[in-house]
Amino acid sequence: MWIVALPGTRTYLALDASCVTAAEVSHGVKTARLRTLAREPLAPGALMPGPAGANLADEAVVHAALVRVLERVARERVTLVLPDGLARLALLETPSGVDAREYVRFRLSSALPWPAADASVDTLAAGGSRVVGAAIGRASVAEYEQAALAAGARVEQVFLAPLVALAGLLRAGASEAVHAVLGDVALCLAFVCDGALVGLRSRRRDRSSGEASRLAEEMRRLQAASGNGHAGVTLAMSGSDAPRLRADLGAAVPSLTTSTLPDGDEAGWLGGLLQ
Amino acid sequence: MTRQPDFRSAPRAAGTGWASALVVAGVLAAGVASYQALGAREEAREAGARLAEATREVAALKTRHAALEARAAAGGQALLAVDAPPSRIVADVATLLPPDVRLERLAIDYQRGGTLEMLVVARDAAAWDLLLERLERAPRIREVEPGPEARAAEVRSVVRARWSAAP
Repeated sequence: MWIVALPGTRTYLALDASCVTAAEVSHGVKTARLRTLAREPLAPGALMPGPAGANLADEAVVHAALVRVLERVARERVTLVLPDGLARLALLETPSGVDAREYVRFRLSSALPWPAADASVDTLAAGGSRVVGAAIGRASVAEYEQAALAAGARVEQVFLAPLVALAGLLRAGASEAVHAVLGDVALCLAFVCDGALVGLRSRRRDRSSGEASRLAEEMRRLQAASGNGHAGVTLAMSGSDAPRLRADLGAAVPSLTTSTLPDGDEAGWLGGLLQ
Repeated sequence: MTRQPDFRSAPRAAGTGWASALVVAGVLAAGVASYQALGAREEAREAGARLAEATREVAALKTRHAALEARAAAGGQALLAVDAPPSRIVADVATLLPPDVRLERLAIDYQRGGTLEMLVVARDAAAWDLLLERLERAPRIREVEPGPEARAAEVRSVVRARWSAAP
């Protein structure tokens, strides 16, 4: 069967611990529309996103899932979406006249679990002179790229799931809120105010009992540390198992809402694309 | 539109599907370029003037920066070790550490107003959260900035903050 990629149509191929997802999205000048969504669950432990070491614990299982989802979408013009948990992220104020990427490399180098020279570094504009800096080990990127290529995808771009979600929030001019974008193994807390990112924390998830209340407290602390002192800022959760965490909190947090990004395992990055 | 960070390993190359579009765009660009070339000389002259102005501004800012640095070196911005001996800062920080958190390294930068850099290891997420809460509430600790966290069995991170002599 021949599948012809329409102009402006791109396939996004995302991997996380629980599933592999492929989404065909057609991009207009200012719009994006989901055309096809294919999803294959992964057996627990087959893929373990982490900043160092091999992530594909069971390459055969991941390969089979990738092949199955790619059968349902165009394999040309593929953008690979890496899961949260691979990268070191930081919100940084870049001095004027300084290359943002080099500045991020300098600031993050001491916290990387591999030599800074082995890091792939890029930035996302976050409003004003602020950027979200991200550093990923080249070996990790290559591991995911090889897996996608082996399954028949022609990879043209490699994005990072939390940054796609953050870009969507910024592009949509999200109202003042602390957003928790949940991945399977890591999460990103973003305080968005007046269309700009004013606070960011990124860490691995601790799914033990009480995660919901710890998360809500951390969101409040982020707001207090980076906000303007307003009380009652909205807390919003989206992505993997957000409904469960919201249910755990129940009425204890009246300001807790659904994020402008939808729920669902792939919701963070996909919602970001479609914003 | 916001540029999305791209981490791909391979060097960037245009897709073959764009080749014909690029040829058409090239022909159009050549036409537009020849038209714009007429105005380019004037723009270049204006750009040169703006560059000269920016250069003058940079020179002025450099002078101002040097003056501010000199003032800071003289004690205007710096925290004096006499006012805040390291032993006192260490003792203050130690009282804020929950039992499940250990301080592996503490660096104090007096020239930058008492900037603290703490390498901490927390036994679990709850201890890490408690540490951040205590630091943010401590009267002498300001501008608490948790670094990236590595969470496996334990949480390891660098926390930056500023110690203030006045509570």
